[in-house]
Amino acid sequence: MENTIKVERAILSLTQGDLAEKIGVSRQTINSIEANRYVPSTVLALKLSAIFGKPVNQFFKLSDSD
Amino acid sequence: MEKDSFVDCERKRLYKVINFRLPSQFVGIGLVICVLTTAIMFFRAFAMDGGDTEWLKLLLQKTLLVGMLIMSVSKDKIEDEMTMSLRAQSYAIAFIVGVIYALVMPYVEYGVSNVVHSGGEAFKSLGDFQVLLFMLMIQLMFYHFLKRNR
Repeated sequence: MENTIKVERAILSLTQGDLAEKIGVSRQTINSIEANRYVPSTVLALKLSAIFGKPVNQFFKLSDSD
Repeated sequence: MEKDSFVDCERKRLYKVINFRLPSQFVGIGLVICVLTTAIMFFRAFAMDGGDTEWLKLLLQKTLLVGMLIMSVSKDKIEDEMTMSLRAQSYAIAFIVGVIYALVMPYVEYGVSNVVHSGGEAFKSLGDFQVLLFMLMIQLMFYHFLKRNR
């Protein structure tokens, strides 16, 4: 799974800490998601979608290995 | 009660038990219990002479396990789905390593004891305290290791 959360976050001028606070997770979790080390649950993905104002599949994409 | 609602009720109860966690302040309480218990264990072993203190040893062993269990089931300051996943991974690792430890360690102890001095100790299985302590230690260590490397 690949994502463009870092880009979406930059568009909204949010730090990892700001985004983490908005969706109720730790900053390290956001860091791990951005680095593709952790695939979030549907609930978290939908929370991110609500923050970014975009559908989930616009910032999460399946990679070749998936 | 209808069958479906009965099943739902049972499921809710089960998830309530599965998701049970103590508040994050309990990590500190568990740590204090562990440190104090370990200190008293050392005191009992090296400073207390005479008298039958076997009951105290057993009591301290149980208290140490309770302290570590409290630390193990306490929430993080920021508990999210990733920390829950890491905790689940650490329990799985601790379980597997604990079973291997319980199977292998008696032979290691027996072997080492017989190599160090001929006709050493007789073969004996591990006690419940040793296995549980090892599993809790592995769980806590791996959880913090996984958290640091997330």
